[in-house]
Amino acid sequence: MMSSLQNPRQAAAQLMNFGLILSTAFMMWKGLSVITDSPSPIVVVLSGSMEPAFQRGDLLLLWNRNLFSETNVGEIVVYNVKGKDIPIVHRVVRKFGTGPDAKLLTKGDNNAADDTELYARGQDYLNRKDIVGSVIGYMPFVGYVTIMLSEHPWLKTVMLGLMGLVVVLQRE
Amino acid sequence: MAVSQEKITVYNLADLKNTSDDAIPNYLNSLKFRQSHRLTDVRLALGYSAFALAAACFAWDYKLGFESTKYFTAAAVAAYTLLNGALTFWMLYVERGTVYMGTAPSGETLRISTSTKKNVPTYFVTVEVEGKDGKKEVLKISRAFTEWFDAAGHFVAAPFQTMLASSLPVIGKLDPKRAAAPKEDGAAEATYTPEMLDVLAKANVSVVGSAAEEATGSEAAGGKKGGKRRKA
Repeated sequence: MMSSLQNPRQAAAQLMNFGLILSTAFMMWKGLSVITDSPSPIVVVLSGSMEPAFQRGDLLLLWNRNLFSETNVGEIVVYNVKGKDIPIVHRVVRKFGTGPDAKLLTKGDNNAADDTELYARGQDYLNRKDIVGSVIGYMPFVGYVTIMLSEHPWLKTVMLGLMGLVVVLQRE
Repeated sequence: MAVSQEKITVYNLADLKNTSDDAIPNYLNSLKFRQSHRLTDVRLALGYSAFALAAACFAWDYKLGFESTKYFTAAAVAAYTLLNGALTFWMLYVERGTVYMGTAPSGETLRISTSTKKNVPTYFVTVEVEGKDGKKEVLKISRAFTEWFDAAGHFVAAPFQTMLASSLPVIGKLDPKRAAAPKEDGAAEATYTPEMLDVLAKANVSVVGSAAEEATGSEAAGGKKGGKRRKA
């Protein structure tokens, strides 16, 4: 292992392998983003507001292109609210108008009231552009890893460190 | 580089192969071969340009958001796929496990690629020699790693170099001492018993200098003492 540090090409190659693992993962994510036209094509359900459809920790696959039909009432969508970082997964329950200016109202299946409380101050409805994508697939429970990672940030450091160590120490 | 101070795990095939691979350039360059880094350099160029592209994509995505840059991102993803494909192609079909490319002082070019098979402790070496007249020759050597690793996992240079010099005339010409060693080729395994390798390892640890100058002690095959004594 140490001998590799004396040879600049070999050191560069090892560094490159590590870099390529990271960049390939990133580019695959971006590729999925481009295909689904969504800035964040895979999200993890963080709350129980859509039970029994989705539980905390479910992984959702999104699709953000209106190829055949517009986003309609009944679809489960993920949307962002201005000023809030966390995307929300709820169902469209009302729709006024058509096209990009349609006004959409959402509600969590497990919530008593609709989402007007959750929207930004003064906002009563969503526009199409607020939506990150409609749910087209899900995988139960898998996303719990990311919930663990975001609730215990030190786990991230540990994981990254371990991954880096393995790649640097191993040449294959 | 006589005997590496470093120990490797003798059960780790990747360690065995990597240590042996690293020894080839050391040995050949000491024999005045001129090493060519073309294959590695192309691989590094492909890999790092792919990485740079991904880094740039990350930067504009981070700064400007997804929506305003998505066409650039799409182009970057396509280009990245192409670059990565080219890199994979290069490694699989052009490099093919090449560990050394170089030109002998006499003008022949040498290309050495090595491989191992899972759970088989054998070093498979393929050597392509291209003469000055453009005549190509392919030689295949397969030897057990035990020939040049002692029981503790030290790499012992002498038998390794003998293996190369005696099987490859191009190298043998430049290092006649090593090439001459095992004329009785059938007894190659017997030439270095594990005990001898250990002794050689101990004797050589303190010796610093060009490997080619060291006594092999192999012709004598005079047991343990023969390995220790330095022959002119």
